[in-house]
Amino acid sequence: MSSELARKRRWMGVGRSDLADSRAAALAAGREALAGGAGDAPKLLIAFSAIGHDAAAVLDGLTGLADGAPVLGCSTHGEIGPGGPRDGGVTVAALGGPGFAVTTATAKDVTGRQREAGAEVAQCARELDGWPHRVLLLLTDGLVRDQESVLRGAYGVLGASVPLFGGAAADGWRMTGAYLLGDGRVLSGAVVAATIASEAPLAVSVRHGYHRLGQPMIVTGAANGRVYTLDDRPALDVYLDRLGAPPEAYTDPAAFTAFALPRPLGIQRRSGVEARNLSTEVDLEGRSIGGGGAIDHGGLTWAMTGDEESILAATDAACADALAALAGRRPVGMLTLSCAALRAVLGDEGIRREGERLARWAGDVPFAGFYTYGEIARVRGIDGFHNQTFVVLALA
Amino acid sequence: MVPETTPSLQIQQLVELLAVVSTLPDEASAVRGAVERAAQALEAEVAAVVVDGRLAASVGFPAGRAPEADLIAVAHRQRAYVEVPGLGVCHALSASWGGTHPGHLVLARYADEPFSIEERSLVRGMARVLELTLTMLRTLAAEHRMRQRSERQARENEQLAGSLAVHNRLLQHLFDIQRAISRRLPLKQILDLITAAAHTLLGDEVVRLWLRDEHDPELVKLQSFVGLRPELAKRLPAVPLADAGVAGEAILTDRVVVQAYREPVIDRLTEGGTTACMAAPVHESGQVTGSLLVASYRPDRGYSTADEQTLRAFAGHVSIALTDATTVDRMYQAFHDSLTGLASRGLFLDRLGQQLADAEHDGTRVALLFVDLDRFKPVNDTLGHAAGDELLMVIADRLRSQVRAGDLAARLGGDEFAVMLTGLTSSGPAVAVAERVVSALSQPMVVGQHRFQVNASVGIALSQPGRPDTADLVRRADVAMYHAKRRGGGRYELFADGMRHALATD
Repeated sequence: MSSELARKRRWMGVGRSDLADSRAAALAAGREALAGGAGDAPKLLIAFSAIGHDAAAVLDGLTGLADGAPVLGCSTHGEIGPGGPRDGGVTVAALGGPGFAVTTATAKDVTGRQREAGAEVAQCARELDGWPHRVLLLLTDGLVRDQESVLRGAYGVLGASVPLFGGAAADGWRMTGAYLLGDGRVLSGAVVAATIASEAPLAVSVRHGYHRLGQPMIVTGAANGRVYTLDDRPALDVYLDRLGAPPEAYTDPAAFTAFALPRPLGIQRRSGVEARNLSTEVDLEGRSIGGGGAIDHGGLTWAMTGDEESILAATDAACADALAALAGRRPVGMLTLSCAALRAVLGDEGIRREGERLARWAGDVPFAGFYTYGEIARVRGIDGFHNQTFVVLALA
Repeated sequence: MVPETTPSLQIQQLVELLAVVSTLPDEASAVRGAVERAAQALEAEVAAVVVDGRLAASVGFPAGRAPEADLIAVAHRQRAYVEVPGLGVCHALSASWGGTHPGHLVLARYADEPFSIEERSLVRGMARVLELTLTMLRTLAAEHRMRQRSERQARENEQLAGSLAVHNRLLQHLFDIQRAISRRLPLKQILDLITAAAHTLLGDEVVRLWLRDEHDPELVKLQSFVGLRPELAKRLPAVPLADAGVAGEAILTDRVVVQAYREPVIDRLTEGGTTACMAAPVHESGQVTGSLLVASYRPDRGYSTADEQTLRAFAGHVSIALTDATTVDRMYQAFHDSLTGLASRGLFLDRLGQQLADAEHDGTRVALLFVDLDRFKPVNDTLGHAAGDELLMVIADRLRSQVRAGDLAARLGGDEFAVMLTGLTSSGPAVAVAERVVSALSQPMVVGQHRFQVNASVGIALSQPGRPDTADLVRRADVAMYHAKRRGGGRYELFADGMRHALATD
């Protein structure tokens, strides 16, 4: 009886559609998500939709259903939800009930002012200061660089009082432009955010499934987010040598990308090694490496590798961590974001099995997410932008 | 378990901090950069800098709501915790610097354990880097203002360029030293690098690094030097701490000591005639353990604040090198069985986990040999622990001599041992090693007046592709070992699926 009552005070619903028409797909997915509230008006709609969809039509469809509630969303490299991963669809999550409160914010044209943008959107959490549990959900444009600064800006406003969670919008590896939905508009180069406040616990977790290979390499030359030398030799060659890369990876950009995608660079941190994706910003002429976040001079790095088993073990661990952190409360829903680069390791069959694991953890609890160009989860310390990870927000 | 990389990680964090703050253009951004980098390095939720008694920058609190009085209390070591909204009570610590603008670096972290000794040493190193950077930025700002006012622009331009060059050279030396530490060069080589750098940068003809004797703390020994009488260099001198002059005073007072006249103890070790000297204390794991001294023959030599800070920076790096070397020793002790010197259970299982993961990637297999002594308990019971310990050492030596280079032998506890073999494609090499181990341990052993024969039962299990599970591999090797024991001992058995069933039905 008490859990029945609890569910009514806070609910989450998820809907999915594969319809080709963008507006129709948004309507179908949106209606299914709203069914989770059994007629109750939502507090927030979140859409994860394929890059091929007409973003304006998706937004228009959902705004019509939202009953005045804000609509946030972004493009993906695949959508995650009950029934397994999909490409080309629309997945919608709806949140509602008097036990939740939501405020939203948007920062536009963030390139060159990432830190201010993070600080701007974080202000929306302050309106909900009195609630016992809050999380700032951030969706960023995956083609904007230096995402760490967005998070630093948000942390500067909120401090450790509010966890950060979210992901960077993807564009299905086209690398031409992702889109975000927020403030009633379709945006690019922006950050959209929602503060979700709750009377019950909210838990964020993050894990990766890679392990270090061989001896460490010291970053001996780095600037502007790129690593020029490792152990005093050109970084690209050291990295490829260390992993025994095929000859074409040294000379052909596509071969390098394909090789680097499942082999991130590990950066030593106090509580473990963080993975950095090297596959997107190839520099065969300068022989430097970079992309996926800052790597500093003096840093200790490792070549890293992982496989389906280790990656899915990380998926399990992230779910277990988040659910355990709800302090015995039953979840009403989960947001589950995975890295687009993991798809290169897992393949279509692997992501299907990843979906099955998620479904097992979720049971009858709705969950939604997408394959990102970068995951956001600040759990400890001040950093929270990740590569090649799986992140979970569990809402009790 | 302490991560294997802990000491190098601290050096890495210091290099990163230095790299970040030394590129920032002004004091405010250097302070903010240092605060964020320090928090990142220690995975702390809160970091703050207090300068001239005021909060100069902080992260971790909602904007405008940093508890300034609490942070200042931590800075002055009046309390060791701070309340952080959203987290609760966090462990806090601070490191301070003096000079004309005294300051403090404060960190707080939400964790069960307080900051470790290594982390405290790292924070001290960070405070030192920040002090140097802030002094340099202030000097540059002052010179910049002067240049704007002055008509003699050319001369001041030269001064400005001179300060920048010194700054850059100092940073370059510190980078070199930090890299030497993180590459684990021999301690002596690192200390020589530091004394040579102090000689080059400060221009003084004499540099001495004195460290307290580990057996007699009232004695200091010369560890590294520049400008020593050649006949003394072969056998480095030791002197009583009380007679060590300025170097001893720096150790006893734990502060920098400057002296503007000759120093007899220095002159005795040189050709004589030094005119001024300065010594800074060095620490190991937080305790004063020696001092770094420079001295000059130049009649006009005086030491400026900048010189003092440079010496402090080098002394700080000696401290890091010493603390790092002790940590490596301590880690070795933690990871190795104190009686036999073989890998400890913790290290063995950790490595096994890593090797299983690597083997998955390489498509090879890992073999685990579980070695249990057959007749050890009666020896221990009848002849006592001392004889038992001696016997274990003999057994460990024999075990070590039978494994291949690259294999890892461990004492798991009591009379249980294990061997890990990697890079296998079949059970052949594991069986060969097991045969040798069984044979070597069945040879009689002599301890004192007694001659023993203790056989061993060895169980072999190979990792299964697609199943990098440490516990499972240990279980299977254990089952195989029991099988060997049940069949009379003094033999090995390779795990087979039927064994579990056989044991269960016994």
